Amino acid sequence: MGKHHQNLLNNLEELRKKAGLTQQQLSESAEVSRKSINAIENGIYVPSTVLALKIAKTLGCKVEDLFKLPNN
Amino acid sequence: MQIFYATYLLLNLFGYTIEWHISNHDLFMFIPGILVFVGSGILTASYYLGDKKNNNILYDEYTALRYYKIAAIGYAVNGIGIFILFSIQDWSNWSFQSANNMIYQIAAFAWLVFGILLTIFSIGDYKEFKNG
Repeated sequence: MGKHHQNLLNNLEELRKKAGLTQQQLSESAEVSRKSINAIENGIYVPSTVLALKIAKTLGCKVEDLFKLPNN
Repeated sequence: MQIFYATYLLLNLFGYTIEWHISNHDLFMFIPGILVFVGSGILTASYYLGDKKNNNILYDEYTALRYYKIAAIGYAVNGIGIFILFSIQDWSNWSFQSANNMIYQIAAFAWLVFGILLTIFSIGDYKEFKNG
């Protein structure tokens, strides 16, 4: 797990690197700015459901693999 | 005010006149308003007709949130500023000139607030761009 938002733990950086993608490549597939991917990885921003699903689809994993609630 | 001036000028250009009595003006004072019109047109067209890949970057949800924050902070600070500007006016000697001056003060304050906010956010963007 990388840096976290207070309401959401994220595993994005690790899974993105495992998939061999840069932030730029992932952002193009998910149709957002690279800044958004960077902000999510650093726990600055919590993505919308649509964006979370797009990222999961690009990385070939489930949303639950990417994000977890702090209490779970 | 600039929007009104630009509207006035554009209507004149197309041969329509409206009975606004704008005195002591020249063409240069309309330029900011015209730029706003043209800029808005270009942005609107590029949003609907422009390159999708570019628009995904320019108009994504995180960017929207950040600009929403700029607007929210800007409106809050401007609200306080306008309240103060109203409070310091000399209402007992009110005149057309005083009203004109107050409009300039409000406009100057609003430009200052949004200018500072945009600069701060731009510096943040640049740092993020440099450091990832």
